[in-house]
Amino acid sequence: MKPLRPLLLALALLTTAASPWHDISVRGEVPALGFAATDAASGHTVTAADFRGRIVLLYLGYTHCPDVCPLTLHNISVVLRRLGKAAAGVRVLFVTVDPHRDTVPVLRRYVALFGPDFVGLRPDANQLARLARRYRLAYAVDPGGHGHPYTVTHSAAVYVFDRTGAARLLIPSLASTTPDLPGVTADLRRLLRGQTAEGWFGWLARWV
Amino acid sequence: MSPARRLPPAEWAVPAALAAVGAALDWATTTRPAAMPVWLPFDFSWFAWAGTVLPLWWYFRGIARMAPARRPAPWRRAVFALGMGLIWAVLQTRYLYLAEHEFFLSRIMHVVLHHLGPFLVALGLAGQPIRAAMPAPLRRLVESRQVRAALAPLMQPFVAAFLFVGLVALWLWPPVHFASMIGHRLFWVMNWSMVLDGLLFWCQVLDPRPAPPARAGYGARAAMAVGVIFPQIAIGAFIVFSRHDLYPYYNYCGRFFPDISPLYDQLVGGMVVWIPPAMMSIVALLIVLSHLRAAEDAAPRPLDPRAARMAALSARWTGR
Repeated sequence: MKPLRPLLLALALLTTAASPWHDISVRGEVPALGFAATDAASGHTVTAADFRGRIVLLYLGYTHCPDVCPLTLHNISVVLRRLGKAAAGVRVLFVTVDPHRDTVPVLRRYVALFGPDFVGLRPDANQLARLARRYRLAYAVDPGGHGHPYTVTHSAAVYVFDRTGAARLLIPSLASTTPDLPGVTADLRRLLRGQTAEGWFGWLARWV
Repeated sequence: MSPARRLPPAEWAVPAALAAVGAALDWATTTRPAAMPVWLPFDFSWFAWAGTVLPLWWYFRGIARMAPARRPAPWRRAVFALGMGLIWAVLQTRYLYLAEHEFFLSRIMHVVLHHLGPFLVALGLAGQPIRAAMPAPLRRLVESRQVRAALAPLMQPFVAAFLFVGLVALWLWPPVHFASMIGHRLFWVMNWSMVLDGLLFWCQVLDPRPAPPARAGYGARAAMAVGVIFPQIAIGAFIVFSRHDLYPYYNYCGRFFPDISPLYDQLVGGMVVWIPPAMMSIVALLIVLSHLRAAEDAAPRPLDPRAARMAALSARWTGR
């Protein structure tokens, strides 16, 4: 057994290091934070550079969303409350996929409901297409008519970027019946502390 | 430079025109992605552009330079162009977006990248014309001993079949599938490994020539075509009969058809892994057998008058 001990130790380390995160590590594969859109608060165009130095949560939705978006944003606001003062280092980017109905004033009033750390972003069609392509996010707006309702579809995931803008985590969904709010809070704390453990799979992915 | 040694216009005008079209597409997909029609690139890739238009250009130029009797038949040229076009279409047009957001559409993409596209390209008998028309340094590289030595073990029939099925299994292994769908580099590696392996496999199986100069005999090639059916059926059936969602990536990043449930999407995707590849293998088997028959007919045989009479009689129902 003795010669096997280092091997077993390494294996144990690998399995425990496999996931230091509660959410899914996407480090090294997903592109860094990059976008341009109109900030609902100021009406000016902002880019990823304006959010350097903060942990960024990126989420696609629309203000007329009946359930998924408000639930997700509410759960994020609960997480930020749990973070306490540290929440000042976090910004939540809510990007509308329905810029036709979500004008700047509508979006500004909507994100203000969830807290001061929420930023409403209104991209134009090309800015939105670039953002969705970059992060593999699906969205569609069907204006309806002829008896069909106006329907909007969008992805459920929330991407998390670190202070340098590097993509770090994917939160699968905060709109489920059992969201892992303590887990998300712990992950954000970890990122705010600047810890960089990433698990063997992220390490592997960076070498492929 | 004397006028006699000046490059003919086609030598530089066509590649320059292809590069200009590529640059225009690159610019348009970067700056105006929302305005792109569905048949133009969704996410332009220079590698995909060059990898499609250059072989097509070399192929038809090489054919023009070949003696008419040795040129691939017109139907072979058509299926070659179709195969290249299909590979480019699933990798570059708006179909790519669909394949990123629906499991069964991503499986159709891989059937095109790994089976249908390379299969049609292999039927084009492109090796000779492309080598004849590609730039000399590239031709020397392709024909170099090192490249041949590197490819030889991968073309050993058992290894080739193992690699063919192994890649299907690797990219469908749930954690790898997640990483390769969410990540840009791994996504690229996944798709191009499927194309290159498909070309390596089908060019060998569908080679009409007998064992030398081909690497493996007709029997081994028929066995390759049939052998890959069973593991693919097993993988497809495993996915079809899974009761839980193996590939949550599509839930996270959104489905193109939100009305199709994840399990139904997975079931249809599993069927795409299961059925079309098996059908293609059967078509490949028939083609290998017809090549075998053509080679036997071409081989000189001692004439036995009684056997010849028998053959003439049997020709009524065999058609030979």
